[in-house]
Amino acid sequence: MPERACRIEMEGTVVRLRLPGGDQIFRRAFMELLRKQLDGLAEKDAVRGVLVCGQGGQFCRVAPDAPKTPPEAAGLSAFGQEVLFALESLGKPVVAALSGEVTGLGLELALACSFVLADRSARFGFPEISQGCLPAFGGTQRLARLVGRSVAKQLLFSGELISADEALRVRLVNRIYDHDTLEQAALDLVQRICSRSPLALRVGAEVVDAGYDIDLKTACLLERDAFALCFASHDQKEGMDSFLEKREPQFTGT
Amino acid sequence: MPYKKLRIEVRNRVGYLLLDSGARFNKLSITTIRELKRAIAQHEDDGEVGCILLSGWPGESFAVGADIGQMRSFTPLEGLRFGTLGQSLFTQMEHCPKPIVGALNGITMGGGCDLALACDIRIASDKLLIAHPGARLGIITGFCGTQKLPRLVGKNRAREIFLSCDSYDADEALRMGLVDRVVGGDRYWCEVVALAERIAAMPACALAWAKRLVNMSEDTKLQSGCLAEQGAAAQFPFCGPPAAS
Repeated sequence: MPERACRIEMEGTVVRLRLPGGDQIFRRAFMELLRKQLDGLAEKDAVRGVLVCGQGGQFCRVAPDAPKTPPEAAGLSAFGQEVLFALESLGKPVVAALSGEVTGLGLELALACSFVLADRSARFGFPEISQGCLPAFGGTQRLARLVGRSVAKQLLFSGELISADEALRVRLVNRIYDHDTLEQAALDLVQRICSRSPLALRVGAEVVDAGYDIDLKTACLLERDAFALCFASHDQKEGMDSFLEKREPQFTGT
Repeated sequence: MPYKKLRIEVRNRVGYLLLDSGARFNKLSITTIRELKRAIAQHEDDGEVGCILLSGWPGESFAVGADIGQMRSFTPLEGLRFGTLGQSLFTQMEHCPKPIVGALNGITMGGGCDLALACDIRIASDKLLIAHPGARLGIITGFCGTQKLPRLVGKNRAREIFLSCDSYDADEALRMGLVDRVVGGDRYWCEVVALAERIAAMPACALAWAKRLVNMSEDTKLQSGCLAEQGAAAQFPFCGPPAAS
């Protein structure tokens, strides 16, 4: 059963990370499975990108759990945050392609991805407020930074789910597709991304993340230095040579 | 000294800064960046200029990035120097007390996209194609794009633009918040000029404060920003009526 909750499928240089979860699995066990998969993916140079999706309209379903003591609850939160930081800083593009209900843990996980694509029928929200709980795997922080404080509060206070259209409007989702075309379109997009320089993708993602929460001036200095370092790489020479010679580049990530 | 890569003129208090490299694409070469710095300083010093209008009109492109042939053999130190030069232009644009309207008339790529982000307002024509294809070239941008784009359109959309290297049209750019307005067809240049002239007719002192206060809101706590606003308000009695045109 755990294998079905969290598993990977290779599609060339792209890994499809299927995360349906299950009715029997608790949050901690699910996040442990995810962490193991992420550790494996981080080390594999052949894997250039990750496509996160559910299965049969089910995404990150977990069995209800209730930590019994405050330290236990805080410990679970710290562990969940650690795993989602590992996802966010995997060093490879991670695109989520989601359908059905994306709630609770599922939405927290989606927020840690590079960006989110959705099927027209997808719905998003944090309904756990009605049980006296809030997202605690970084969800309150990533949500507010992505959609702004007002929309974040509206979602967290009301517990209501919003439609894919609404999610697109508030910047939670980047693109919407029809149900039948979502997975293929997402795979095409991730494969296109994986034809770019892995080094530039990695450094770019790191600089975007590192600079977002600091003052703009320091952030630009950080970017300038990372830009300069690119000129010591194979990928920069290959990228520009192939552009000038009008051919496809052969990037190595070095 | 004459300009080789751009044309400048002043009409109805608008300081025009028209990129014109003589080629299909206005590349942000070292020469172009230096000329832009000189031209902005010239408009800044000119009392007859109330607003600066930056565009590649009527050409096919607004601006694209550096000359790839030139950049191909950069050493890391040359990259550092080039990044520093580009960023100094954008800092100069930010500190310039006069509003800078960016008229994105067409193809806007890489460093050209960063130049657009340094403008105070962006008006696109329906011919806009905008992209940030550094990862296709094995680099990231060094011209503030990785920092300003996420702050403007949100982290996730910025990441999509950087990762995909895809080109986005005017409607998509508007939907993402990358541009503030899109004007189609024949009306484009008239509306851009009308907006620039309207802004240029406002009191220079008020424009300068508006730009400074909004810019500083980025990295300032609300209380401190509000205090700065009070300081600005104390200047208003001396700001005077709109400049005569």
